[in-house]
Amino acid sequence: MERMNDYYASVTRRLLLAFFCLCLVPLLAVGWITKNSLRDINIIRLEDKATATVTAQAKVLSQVLKDHINNLDMLVNFLPPSFFEQQGNTEKLFLAIDNRGDIVDLQSIAADGRQYAYVGPYRTQVKGKSYAEAPWFQETLLNGVHISNVFTGYRGTPHFVVAVTNPLKSYVLRATVNSSSFNSLLLAAQISPHSDAFIVNRAGEFQTPSLRGEDTLSVTARTLISAGGSEAPIVTDDAVYIARPLADGRWFFIVTANVADSMSVYIPLYRQILIVFTILFILALAAALVVSIMLARHIRHADQEYAANSMQFAQMEKMATIGRLAAGVAHEINNPLQMISSQSGWIAELLPEEDPAKVKNLGEYKESIEKIRYHVKRAGTITHRLLGYSKKMAAQQEEVQLNDLLNETISFVEKEAESHDISIHRNFLPDLPLTMTDGPQLQQVFLNLLNNALDAAGEKGEVEISTAVSGSDLVIRFADSGEGIARENLKRLFDPFFTTKLPNKGTGLGLYISYDITRKLGGSLKAENRESGGALFTVQLPIARLGEIKRH
Amino acid sequence: MTEMKKFNILVVDDEQEFREMTVKQLLHRGMEAEGAEDGKIGLEMVEEGNFDVVLLDVKMPVMDGIKALRKMKQAKPLVEVVLLTGHASVDSGIEGMKLGAFDYLMKPMEFDEVLEKLCDAFEKRRIHLDKIEMAQMKKHMSLPS
Repeated sequence: MERMNDYYASVTRRLLLAFFCLCLVPLLAVGWITKNSLRDINIIRLEDKATATVTAQAKVLSQVLKDHINNLDMLVNFLPPSFFEQQGNTEKLFLAIDNRGDIVDLQSIAADGRQYAYVGPYRTQVKGKSYAEAPWFQETLLNGVHISNVFTGYRGTPHFVVAVTNPLKSYVLRATVNSSSFNSLLLAAQISPHSDAFIVNRAGEFQTPSLRGEDTLSVTARTLISAGGSEAPIVTDDAVYIARPLADGRWFFIVTANVADSMSVYIPLYRQILIVFTILFILALAAALVVSIMLARHIRHADQEYAANSMQFAQMEKMATIGRLAAGVAHEINNPLQMISSQSGWIAELLPEEDPAKVKNLGEYKESIEKIRYHVKRAGTITHRLLGYSKKMAAQQEEVQLNDLLNETISFVEKEAESHDISIHRNFLPDLPLTMTDGPQLQQVFLNLLNNALDAAGEKGEVEISTAVSGSDLVIRFADSGEGIARENLKRLFDPFFTTKLPNKGTGLGLYISYDITRKLGGSLKAENRESGGALFTVQLPIARLGEIKRH
Repeated sequence: MTEMKKFNILVVDDEQEFREMTVKQLLHRGMEAEGAEDGKIGLEMVEEGNFDVVLLDVKMPVMDGIKALRKMKQAKPLVEVVLLTGHASVDSGIEGMKLGAFDYLMKPMEFDEVLEKLCDAFEKRRIHLDKIEMAQMKKHMSLPS
C-alpha cells in the first residue's frame, strides 16, 4: 500500500510538472518577447534622441570653434602684416576679439618664428622665444590654420590654441582659448544622469573632461573615432554611442546615452506586466495542481477498479476450479455411498426374516443399520452440497426463499462459530415472501457478511441475523457484538482492497464484491454502527415476482 | 408396501454390484426384475421383453442413459423410465424428463425411495394403459364419448 501511495504521488508530481511547464513556457515566452520588444523600442528611441542631441550640439560646438578661427582669419586678411608688429596694435585687437571673454592671450609671430607682440598674462615667460621649430608653428604655415589639443600648460586651466597665417604666410596670429567654456555646452548634451558627452581628439585623448568623470576612452568610442565619426550610432548592452567630427575631423564630439536610464520610463509598465504575469502564473499553478490531483485520483481509482475486477475474476476462476474438483470427488464418493446404502438396506430387508430367538444381537444389528443409514445420508448431504457449490458459478434467476438460503449459509459456518463459542441468533420473519434473484450469488454475499460478523464478534460473541419486509423490499440484517467500525473506516469500507484484517487474512475484496453483487441484483448494502455497540450490515433487496426479473 | 402390485422392472447400470443388489432386492419384494450392464443391452431387452418400468443410469459406457431413453421411448412409448443421476448431472435428469422420463433419482438413495418411485411410475403406466383400453372399448361398443 505504501509503495502504491508513492507511485501515485510520483504520478501526481509528474503530471504537476508537465502541466506546470505547459503553463509556464508560454508565459515565459510572452514575457521574454515583451521585455525584448520594449528594450528594442527603447533603443530605437534612444538612438533617435542621441542622434538629434549630438547633431544639434555638434553644430553649436563647431560654430564656437569656427568663430575663433574666423575672427583671427578676418584680422589677418584685413590688416596689413606691419600692423601686428606693434605691441599696441595687438593689445587693441585682443580687446576687440575677446568679446566672449574666453580668449586668454593673443600673440603675433613672424614667419621665421620670432615673436612680434604678445598680449596676455604670460608676457615674461614668452619674451624672446622663437617658435621656428615648434610643430604647431610649422603646421600653421603649412595648412594656414592650426588647432591644438587641449592642455593645461603653464596656466593650470584647460585651454587650446588656435593659430592662423595670412595668405602670403608672412606671419602667424595665435590665440589661446579657455576651453572650459565648452564644458557648459557639453552639459546640454547630457541626455540622462548616467549618459556622457565629451570631446576627444583623433588620438582618443580627452579634450574636455568626461561628464561622468571617465579618464579612459571606451573601446566602443575608439571604434567610432576610427570610423571617422560616421553617422550611425553603435549600440552596446549598456549604452548608445554616437560621434560627430569637429574642426574638420581634428576632434570628435561623443555622446553616450545610458540604456538603463531610459528604461526607467518603462518601470511602471514592467511592474504592471509583472503583476499580471504573477497572477496568471499563480492561476496556472493552481489549475495545474487541481487537474494533476484530480487526474491522479482518477487514475488511481481506475487502477483499483481494474485490479479489483482482475482479482474478482481470478477469485471466480479459483472458485470454479475448486467447484469442479469438489464435484468430481463428490461424484466418485456417491457410488460407494450408494453401495453402502444398498448393502445395509439389504441387511435391513432380510433381518426381519430371521428367527429373533436365534439372532442373539438383533437389536444391535437394527441399531447399527439405522446408524449406517443416518451417516450415509449425512455424507450424501455433504456431497450434494459440494456438488451444488460447483453449480453456483453460473448466474441464474430462481425463486428464492431467503430464510432457507440464510439457514443453509449459517450451516456452513456453524462449526466455526461453535469452536469460538459464538452464538448465532436467527430472528427470521415467518412466511417471508419468495423473490426472483440469483441465489448462489446472494449466498456469497450472506456468507461474506456472516464471516465478517463472526470475525468481529470474536470469542464468546453474538451474531444476530434477521429478516423483514419493508415496503416492497426484503431487508436482511447482520448484527454483531464486536467493537463496531471506526468512523474513519466507514467511508472506505466498500472500497476495493480496503481491509482492517491482518495481512493474508483478508483480501479487502469481500465487502467490495458483496456491494457489487447486491447492486447488480437491484438492491443495496449499507454499514453502520449500532447504538448498543457492534456493527450492523443491512442488505435490502426488492421483492421480484416470477416473470418480473429485475437486473441492473 | 405390502400390497404392492407385481410388475416387470429392468435395471440398467454399469455398476455391477449396485445392479445385482437392486435386482435382488426387487425380486425379494416380489417384483419381476432383470439387469442390463449398459444402454445398448438395456435397449435390446426393452425392445424384446415386456418391461413396465426401467431404472436407467444416465452415465454409462457404450450408450448413455439419455440416448437409451430416447430409443426406448421410440420403441415402446408406454414404457416408463426412472433415471439415476449424480447431482452434477441434474440437468441431464431434467433433460431426460423432457424426453419423457417419469422422474429422476440422485445417488445415494435408499431402496425404499427407489421402489416408491418405481411404483409411482408403474401407476402412471397403468392409468395410461387403462385409458387406452377404455378408448378402445368405447370404440368397439360405439358408445358416445
